[in-house]
Amino acid sequence: MPTLNINGRNMSVEAANDTPLLWAIREQLQMTGTKFGCGAGLCGACTVHVNGEAVRSCQTSLSDVAGKKITTIEGLSAKGDHPLQKAWIAEQVPQCGYCQSGQIMQAASLLARNSNPTKEEVIEHMDGNLCRCMTYSRIQKAIMRAASEMRTAATATDRRAT
Amino acid sequence: MNTHVNISQDIVKNTASPATSDLSRRSFLVGSAAAGLALGYAGVPGLVGADAALAATAHFDPSVWYSIAPDGLVTVTCGKADMGQHIASTMAQIISEELGSNWKDMRVQLASNDPKFNDPVLGAQITGGSWSTMMNYDAMSRAGAAGRIALTEAAAASMGVPAGELVVRDSVISHPKSKKSMTFADIVKSGKATKTFTPDELKAIKLKTADQYTMIGVSVPQLDIPSKTNGSAKYGIDVMLPGMVYGKVVTPPVRFGATVKSVDDSAARKVPGFIKAVTLDDKTGTTTGWVVAVADTYANARRAADALKIDYEGGPNAKLSSESLLNEARRLQSLDDSGLFFVKDGDTAAAFGTAAKVIEAEYTTNINIHAPMEPMNATAQLQGDIWHIYSGNQFATRSGAIAAGAAGVDPKFVVMHQMWLGGGFGRRLDADMMVPAVQAAKAVGKPVKVIYSRENDMTMDFSRPLTFQKVKAGLDGDGKLIALNHDVVSAWPTKRWGIPDFLTPSVDKKGGLDGFTVNGADFFYTVPNHNVRAILNEMAHNATPSGQLRSVAPGWTFWAVESMVDELAHAVGKDPAQYRIEMLDGKGANAGGAQRLRNTLLAAMGMSGYGTKQLPKGEGMGVACVSSQERATASWTACVAHVAVADSGEVKVKKLTVATDVGTQVHPDNIRAQVEGAALWGLSLAMYEKATLKDGGIEQTNFDTYTPLRMSQVPEVAISVIANGEKATGVGEPAVTVIAPALANAIFNACGARVRSLPITAEAVKGAMKA
Repeated sequence: MPTLNINGRNMSVEAANDTPLLWAIREQLQMTGTKFGCGAGLCGACTVHVNGEAVRSCQTSLSDVAGKKITTIEGLSAKGDHPLQKAWIAEQVPQCGYCQSGQIMQAASLLARNSNPTKEEVIEHMDGNLCRCMTYSRIQKAIMRAASEMRTAATATDRRAT
Repeated sequence: MNTHVNISQDIVKNTASPATSDLSRRSFLVGSAAAGLALGYAGVPGLVGADAALAATAHFDPSVWYSIAPDGLVTVTCGKADMGQHIASTMAQIISEELGSNWKDMRVQLASNDPKFNDPVLGAQITGGSWSTMMNYDAMSRAGAAGRIALTEAAAASMGVPAGELVVRDSVISHPKSKKSMTFADIVKSGKATKTFTPDELKAIKLKTADQYTMIGVSVPQLDIPSKTNGSAKYGIDVMLPGMVYGKVVTPPVRFGATVKSVDDSAARKVPGFIKAVTLDDKTGTTTGWVVAVADTYANARRAADALKIDYEGGPNAKLSSESLLNEARRLQSLDDSGLFFVKDGDTAAAFGTAAKVIEAEYTTNINIHAPMEPMNATAQLQGDIWHIYSGNQFATRSGAIAAGAAGVDPKFVVMHQMWLGGGFGRRLDADMMVPAVQAAKAVGKPVKVIYSRENDMTMDFSRPLTFQKVKAGLDGDGKLIALNHDVVSAWPTKRWGIPDFLTPSVDKKGGLDGFTVNGADFFYTVPNHNVRAILNEMAHNATPSGQLRSVAPGWTFWAVESMVDELAHAVGKDPAQYRIEMLDGKGANAGGAQRLRNTLLAAMGMSGYGTKQLPKGEGMGVACVSSQERATASWTACVAHVAVADSGEVKVKKLTVATDVGTQVHPDNIRAQVEGAALWGLSLAMYEKATLKDGGIEQTNFDTYTPLRMSQVPEVAISVIANGEKATGVGEPAVTVIAPALANAIFNACGARVRSLPITAEAVKGAMKA
């Protein structure tokens, strides 16, 4: 029985090792924020973090993530207040909302290593995530807003440290 | 909307017995009405609406549309499907305006299929047509006002002051003279708010005028958005029931008409967790040749599905292709007696005889797939005599009946539990997913959640049909359009639903036609002699059962009309925008609408700088203007597209400028979001999305071959919303329809290439350049 380290907790799941991570998260752990979209790594709806990197959980088997840290939308922040989540609300990004967990997780992996991305870098990083409601321009604005907030917060932390 | 539509009765006729016979507006009775209203269902245990009403005695339920709890929270029940248009929040906003509640106190929930939640105008639960705001505005306003009046009278009695001296604001009722006040929570707790309203009393309520609005016209935070940023919003696919198992459909290689000859499950039986392969017996005629692999998990259901060996009989459509459908469309169009007349004004034959110039052109669109991000799914559970269905659905009234048909029970034994929709776009008007969920649950005796793979979802879509249109125009010596024959050949999505009243009588009363294949062709230009023929392509109708795809007919009729008008303008050497403005003279039945459309076109021209400067070589601007969705429910939308065309035929969309007259804006920011989404849908359909039929099956199976717009393809979009105080119109669809013709017209202005087929490809543009 595989054990997953997910959102900071170790949880065992009743599933074969070749089961896609997506379905173990959704069905065994009943965390349904991670979505099934295409089953082929073409849409990004199922994006989660494995050791901080955005991966498509429909293309990742349980054996691929043994001993690795998995983060889902439910674990991105304690109270749904990651700068991206706050920015998503401020910009009123979601329409149907189905792709947005994946969009946020994809964006979070960019901002974790680059809190000052250019528009081109954002587009390149996000182009694998489909939004059928076409909220793309708001997604871009929200990423830029969150990046700005993260830079401001980092500056404040630096000041306190000095 | 087609004003004669009264679908409730026909759903009843077509799908066994009625759920309830009385669909009147008594739902607005205040006070005990909610419990009373549930009476039609009182004998049905476990019904959500009835349970809620009975359990809610401590609450104040001023109408079926909302309830105020003793803590002051106002929970609005939305009878419309919320697929991202935030309609639940919009309903709450309209109620809140008249009720006088604080936005922070508003909550939303989604309605069951209890007929008390039927649309007050349509008499059924159906969400589409960009109708919801316009058709619910009055009802929600009156519901809100009734609650305010009842609360105010109760507060007046408690305070011992005249009701007329009370002020209602932010969920508080105060008496300025005595400085007394009560919150909504205080009043509900007092139990004194019991006033009831008859329908006539409701009708007599004097509503606020626009200058008194404090809530409508404000971009309040959408109530559903926070749950869509943290994974907590529950869609149909997220439903979990105790003891539930999973189903994966196995669909045949032919879109429609195949049958299962045999199923060999010997390999599937070796898959751990496999329970059963269920071959559907679909008496509703919605699906053909489907099997469901049921297992303990979805991953195992997929494994089992892959392991099934199914032998099919391909059926009558197994050899058909897109080419066959198009050839058949051409053949039908060439016959004089094809189809039925949607428009027949003047005498086009005589006018063509006198015309100085006659121009003909053919316009086509390929098959398009909805592909909402949430694949189709449904969860079915039999509890006692009641089938509980969990699914995000746009047409609960019909879907409940289809579920009943699949189960072999009366529709009154089906309770539809509405969920958030992970995209709708018209796809979830159809009810196919009910059949595998219900029949699998019946076969295994457990709740079953059926989830389509993306491949199932794409190849079994109720697609936008392939369309063929022939337009023949006659011009007089001054270049004025005096005659237009417009033939529209397609599958008839609405006919497939089997609801006769959803069809439109032909103008010469020779039969019912599918108005949802020709809407838009009855435009607001003044053309004295004008025929529109709706022609059913029976071959396409059978081979590619089609559905309503965001913007429906205006998505192709305006493609033809707005391209042709441009061609005519160029043929007589006039500026295409000016040519349109001259035809939008507002004569006769076009009065009012034509001028609104003209003004909208002028707004888009002004915002885009149309005609104000010389563009570089290879660039061009093109205009289009539309009265989508239907004549009676039009919004007024115009677009100026700016493109750059390379010698290779490659088109770069530099900017889309869209102006839209929506009458009254409930939520300005949401309107912009919807118009932008719709415009980008229009772009995606115009340039990036194409499905094809081969050997009876849809060839595209996933997002590698069916390719909606991605972020890197988004151009600059400028939107101007005109709110001139007219009644609120719809905004979810109209902007879809204006983009393709504006782009084609821009491409022509950029490089002289006229494209007449969607999607527009670089090859077609390059080919048209040479011609």
